[in-house]
Amino acid sequence: MRRAIFPLILGLAAFWLAGCATERTVPLKLTGDPIVDGENAITNGPARDRVLWEYRTALAAMRRGQFDLAKRHLDDAIARISSVYGKDAAARKSRGTFSAEAKKTFLGEPYERVMAWYLRAILYWRDGEPDNARACFRSGQLADSDTENKAWASDYVLLDYLDGYVTEKLGGDGADAIKRASRAAQQWKPPTFRTNANVLVFIDYGSGPAKFATGSYAEQLRFRPQPSHSRNALARAAGTTGKAVPYDDLLFQATTRGGRVMDHVLANKAVFKSATDTFGNVALITGAALTTHRETEVAGLATMGAGLIGKIFSSAANPAADIRAWDNLPQFLSFVALELPPGSQTLTVDFLDDAGRILGGQSRVVTFDVPAGGRDKVIYVSDKSTTPQSQ
Amino acid sequence: MTELNWNQKVNRMKPIYVLLSGLTLATLAGGCASSGVKNPSGVNVTEMRPDERGFVAGTGVESQDIVAVTDKMARGLLGLEPIATAKTPPYIVLEPVVNETRFPINKDIFLTRMQTQLASKSGGRMRFLARDRLAALLKERDAKRAGQFTTDTDPNIQEFKGADYLLTGKLQSLTTKTGAGTSDYVLYTFQLIDARTSVIVWAGDHEIKKQGLEDAAYR
Repeated sequence: MRRAIFPLILGLAAFWLAGCATERTVPLKLTGDPIVDGENAITNGPARDRVLWEYRTALAAMRRGQFDLAKRHLDDAIARISSVYGKDAAARKSRGTFSAEAKKTFLGEPYERVMAWYLRAILYWRDGEPDNARACFRSGQLADSDTENKAWASDYVLLDYLDGYVTEKLGGDGADAIKRASRAAQQWKPPTFRTNANVLVFIDYGSGPAKFATGSYAEQLRFRPQPSHSRNALARAAGTTGKAVPYDDLLFQATTRGGRVMDHVLANKAVFKSATDTFGNVALITGAALTTHRETEVAGLATMGAGLIGKIFSSAANPAADIRAWDNLPQFLSFVALELPPGSQTLTVDFLDDAGRILGGQSRVVTFDVPAGGRDKVIYVSDKSTTPQSQ
Repeated sequence: MTELNWNQKVNRMKPIYVLLSGLTLATLAGGCASSGVKNPSGVNVTEMRPDERGFVAGTGVESQDIVAVTDKMARGLLGLEPIATAKTPPYIVLEPVVNETRFPINKDIFLTRMQTQLASKSGGRMRFLARDRLAALLKERDAKRAGQFTTDTDPNIQEFKGADYLLTGKLQSLTTKTGAGTSDYVLYTFQLIDARTSVIVWAGDHEIKKQGLEDAAYR
């Protein structure tokens, strides 16, 4: 019996560990081309990462001027993030003590979901559907609501400002929206609406927040800035210059929401991991001490066995926070409205550093046709866009 | 004190083994249970009626809402006195629906369905003008006038009909999001406007409210 107990315990543990082991996934071969890699990952990668790759691929496509491709991926991602109500097997699994949070289907933190809506809004507006663009701005702002303590909830300046801008363009009253935008503005207040502007330029720059995990068991999700020199921008076309100031900062948005509900789940997992580890240590030491006496030898072995199980449970518990991130996001969002005559035009966007100096080699050039008849021309430019580009 | 042999020690410890083994198995089973996945092989394609709520749902505008709204509006319009008693069928133009909700939608889908419902159920009491095809119609007419295409009538006579009524609508919404979930209320309003007098001769509305709560893993 003495000989049987340890193999029994170890066999059960091995069986359990094998059953709960991480599924095998074939690593994706990356080519370095964000669109090729993204398309490959969407098709062949784990289903739980599909939305993540769709986000990344859509943004990469927009930076290359491949707007139809971006639309396709954003529509798919938004359809997924808009219908996650009720039971979700992957989410339930990620809450389990022995599963990592990253097991859940990636939908993104609120600032990532907001960006999906924001980018889709640009594409709707570009297609001549400003009211659907406004719908996206509103859904984006909603994705940022429900923060902890309600501080900094729905505080994207541009989402409210552009909501009001569309409303004014459609003949409505955007006064409330611009008031909300001005209240949310930290450094840069948005200008009054220029409803006669016919060229609407969406500009973003800098590198978005990076996620990392901290805490004893990497159970706490945190964000840090990524190095980037772009801090401001200027848009020039046909002798007109518009200041593309950073109305919204995604790092600020990521770090001002407070805790998530999932953080409490992960904290509980961390407590379980810590408690079972401590129990294992105590049981192993106590058991070892008991085995030194003949009368308590068997009790000592049993205690050591329980301790071993505790250690196994502790090592199997997985409180690690999910640090999958939409890693090609910008840090700053901006918008410029220009009034240009119909016909062919060239827009140059200069990106500026902290001191307001133009960053050499960073300027982006976009050529486009301004339509006659008052229809808006929507341009999207990033400091990571290909240049020159025709839109 | 008599020293116990190994078998005696084991016999004394038996309850501990039983308890330990039971606890171990129960805990292991419990631990692995959390990784159970519903429908691991997926779900076969299920054909559903467009007016029923599917198992994939959000709080936004969905097919069952479009069916419910357009059916109700079509019924309201068919019973409208000026249309039911008109000596000649009135000509109606569909104007784009205004979307003021937080949901990006294909706005034309409402009026398209209402048009087909009305056209098929009104028995010819209403006629619709294809203003959304005006560019193609003008191109065709101009080509006939230029002699590029054949025609049995004089292409220089203006035959495009003017509208007696405009049918349009608006979608508005109110959203609440708290820790208890997301609630979306959408108000659909439609109007039939006399094109000559601007009088709103008919208005109908439909309200839908939906609520849902995401899994804690996503909050």
